Amino acid sequence: MARINPGFKKEIQKYGSFDFNACYNCGNCTAVCSLTDAGNSFPRKMLRDTVLGLEDDLKSSVEPWLCYYCGDCSTTCPREADPALLMMSLRRWLTAKYDWTGLSGKFYTSKRWEIGAILTLSVFILLLFVFFHGPMTTELTPEGGVALNTFAPWQAVEIGDWAMAGLLSFFLISNIVHMYFMIVRKSRIRIPLKLYLKEFWALIFHFATQWRFSKCESESGTRRENLKKGKYNYWVVHFLLMSGYVILFTMIVGMLGWFQTDEIHPWWHPQRMLGYYATFGLLIGTIYFSYLRIKKNNEKTKHSHYTDWTFLILLFLTTVTGILVHLFRINGMPYLTYYIYVIHLMVLFPMLMIEVPFSKWSHLAYRPFAIYFNNLVLAARKQNAA
Amino acid sequence: MNNRIGVYVCQCGSNISDYIDVEKVRAEVAETDGVVLARTTMFACSDATQKEIVQDIQNNELDAIVIASCSPKLHLFTFREVANRAGLNPYRYVQVNIREQGSWAHSDNPEMATFKAIHQVKAGIARAKLSQTLTRLRITSVNTALVIGAGMAGMKAALELADMGTRVFLIERDHFVGGRTSQWSSLFTTFETGEEVVLRVYREVDSNPNITLLTGAELVSVKGTVGNFEATIKITPRYIKPGCDMKQYPELEAALKKAIDACPVEVPDEFNFNITKRKAIYNAFKSEFPQCPAIDHEHCTRCGECLKYFDHIDLEQKEETLSVQVGAILVATGFDPYEPAEGEYGYHELANVITLPQFKRLIEIDEKELVYKGRPIHTIAYIYCVGSRQTEGPNKHCSRYCCTSAIHAAIHANRKYHGIQNIHFNRGIRTYGKQETFYSESLEAGDIFVQFLEEEPPVVFSENGKTIVRVNDILTRQKEVEAEADLVVLVTGMVPRKNSNIGELLKIPTGRDHFFNEVHPKLKPVETVIDGVFICGACQAPFNITESVKSALSASSKANALISKGYIELDPLLAEVNQEVCVWCDSCAKACPFDAISKISFDGKQIASVDHSKCKGCGMCLPVCNVDAIGLTGYSDHEIESMIDQMIG
Repeated sequence: MARINPGFKKEIQKYGSFDFNACYNCGNCTAVCSLTDAGNSFPRKMLRDTVLGLEDDLKSSVEPWLCYYCGDCSTTCPREADPALLMMSLRRWLTAKYDWTGLSGKFYTSKRWEIGAILTLSVFILLLFVFFHGPMTTELTPEGGVALNTFAPWQAVEIGDWAMAGLLSFFLISNIVHMYFMIVRKSRIRIPLKLYLKEFWALIFHFATQWRFSKCESESGTRRENLKKGKYNYWVVHFLLMSGYVILFTMIVGMLGWFQTDEIHPWWHPQRMLGYYATFGLLIGTIYFSYLRIKKNNEKTKHSHYTDWTFLILLFLTTVTGILVHLFRINGMPYLTYYIYVIHLMVLFPMLMIEVPFSKWSHLAYRPFAIYFNNLVLAARKQNAA
Repeated sequence: MNNRIGVYVCQCGSNISDYIDVEKVRAEVAETDGVVLARTTMFACSDATQKEIVQDIQNNELDAIVIASCSPKLHLFTFREVANRAGLNPYRYVQVNIREQGSWAHSDNPEMATFKAIHQVKAGIARAKLSQTLTRLRITSVNTALVIGAGMAGMKAALELADMGTRVFLIERDHFVGGRTSQWSSLFTTFETGEEVVLRVYREVDSNPNITLLTGAELVSVKGTVGNFEATIKITPRYIKPGCDMKQYPELEAALKKAIDACPVEVPDEFNFNITKRKAIYNAFKSEFPQCPAIDHEHCTRCGECLKYFDHIDLEQKEETLSVQVGAILVATGFDPYEPAEGEYGYHELANVITLPQFKRLIEIDEKELVYKGRPIHTIAYIYCVGSRQTEGPNKHCSRYCCTSAIHAAIHANRKYHGIQNIHFNRGIRTYGKQETFYSESLEAGDIFVQFLEEEPPVVFSENGKTIVRVNDILTRQKEVEAEADLVVLVTGMVPRKNSNIGELLKIPTGRDHFFNEVHPKLKPVETVIDGVFICGACQAPFNITESVKSALSASSKANALISKGYIELDPLLAEVNQEVCVWCDSCAKACPFDAISKISFDGKQIASVDHSKCKGCGMCLPVCNVDAIGLTGYSDHEIESMIDQMIG
């Protein structure tokens, strides 16, 4: 038994969607969707549950994560109910629901909370440096670089990194466990342990490739044709950005001693090559996605929530300040290096702390886990039926 | 006996000639005794052939013609006119149907089709030989119409008739005109109010010299036939002196209020569909006209309390009976909203379950806040198709107006009050035509639509003092969903008027749904099988106001065309009594579906007599006559027998 809750639409509207009530249930959205299938039918089902305000059903739905916002449903919708935007809004809403701390919901529905949190964390980093920074030596290394590790010894920063990574993992993993309970446990299907292992590859595969995402763009024509037409641009740029992020995150958190050196390696050194690749990916990604969001010429980027912009701006600033740190360091400009390094961390830290467990970047975990959980449920159902 | 007969065998392009050897038919019948001319033709109905036939008739001095072609339903009148143009009596024309009854029916067997056609044409020739000159009957008619019911349809019909020069008696059973329309505050699709619309029409009716409006007036009997009906009308007294118009004399308001307060009799107010009460003396609602109070004849106890305060009361008024002569009668008696059964979706069992008409009155009455029985209303559940589209019982029809009306009322409530949430439990929304925009508007305003199947209707029940509507929503995977509602509105359909005997009085046939039946839904949509009696508006079928008015205009022009010439022409192919042979046994009178046969005295005995204005020439009376005293002009026994002889010959 589900109770119709007309008030729910007000809540979901805070997460970005506004037109879904115009829906008259024709189902064209589901008909044109290149990702929907018999196992998981969307977006009409999600739209319907939202209109009726069936929160419990929505909370246990994986469908929003299976959608990659190609926007075909919204361009096809005869009522301009914008189903794609609703799916996006539901992803934000689900992120807030998975988060047991409630902070995510606050960030998504209140600009004050979001900006306040960013500023607080920035000031925290600033204060750390004000009180604990090392000597601001102007003496350069033999190669002519700045002695950054004197100002901010990597050993000390790494302790902070580990602390941050610990916090991030704690929040993100606990939210994923919460998500597991909401989706898999709620389905009341017994899943044998073997299936958990068997389906695990999907998690890794989809995390690494965003394979479904690329499927989303290839509604018609061969892959080669679509590649020529630029239909994979979005996926390619997204891949660049994602891989750059993962590489940098790994180097910063796990290998800071190798990454943050005073020594200036030759240009072909893996440290520099990887750093350049990642920086390139992040820069291209943030500029490309910002450009699309300003131009608003496709469904995916037509409607930007303020959290979308917060994320892009923070990431862009992190990238730019990172580049500057590098340039100032290798060109022997000590004070600029120190100041920009502090600013770099003042942006980087809140960006990771807010975006990864509580906001847009949590999708890096929720999307592959949703596919994993969904595959588990479907496979178990199939086994039970057979 | 005619013996200069012309015969034409039509090919109908190839419709006939593909299967029937028309040349063979022509050759076979050309030799028949009495036939002086036999031709085949590509299209008998074409202009050129019609002209040829006219010339043939004149040049050969033909005294009868036979055309073997299509069904007489298609071209009987065409060819009668051809005969007429040639100076030949149209009843000396015989049509033989060799298409529907020949080529089309026997396309599998051309040989036998030809064989059959030859015999058919020979039979036609035999009948033509015996055909006689007949003239159309003429009866006089008065150019006056009776319009029953002064709702929107009745008033518009009366106005239209009056404008075309027909005198009109417009009678209304109630003391006020406007019918159902005056009960609706806001109307789709323009949001005009019933008051505005009714007032505009009423003003015109009131000032039109050709219209006599009688309120409190009811048809009690009717005699006579088309062109000359005699209608008897009973007029119930209003018990208010004439000319007491409250709009004109607002100073009377206070006295009237005192009189109403003094009245000890309280009855449910039908105008508000019984959600409020009124006294036996009551004032007109602002949408009712004339704006003049009335006293309820049925419930008033004549106690005289009101007389102490209000001078314009006259309890001495008596019921009057009036007889009028009219040429045609237009029935515009409207509909009743379906009254749900006790307990149907909690009706009369739960305090907050009402019908759509009641809800529409409630929106009109509640000014600032929507309140019902002292409780504020925020969430409203509408249950559609109550009393419509039912598999069982007479109400199988879709009432057509209710989807739009319910959505319109929901929008109206949303606009008028603060914080309204509408939830529509429907069986598929049918806001056809331009009304679809209302559906869009309500969706965009946040109304929720839940759809159920007829076999799984919603259940309305009370739980911890809350009213819950529960249903399997087919739009949500047949999932069982429920909603809490402050008010449940049953979207009731239209049913025929319950307390009306107009149908029986005028002998208008009704359908299985008990609405009045037209002769043909497309070809004669406002005519009934009773000549001179027309139907319009929602007494015929569920119509909205626009559709009612359209049918009213249609019926008024048909009525005017029928009676305005001063005479009505009738086909002479009617039943005829052989006065010598008839011995009056009443079998024919019983068999006649049109009440056309009555008993008269003739030459010292009782015999049957046929009223020509009622007889339709159907022939039902012929086979029941024991002494063969009744015949049908144009289809005499002699003619039919001679045809049979040819058929089997």
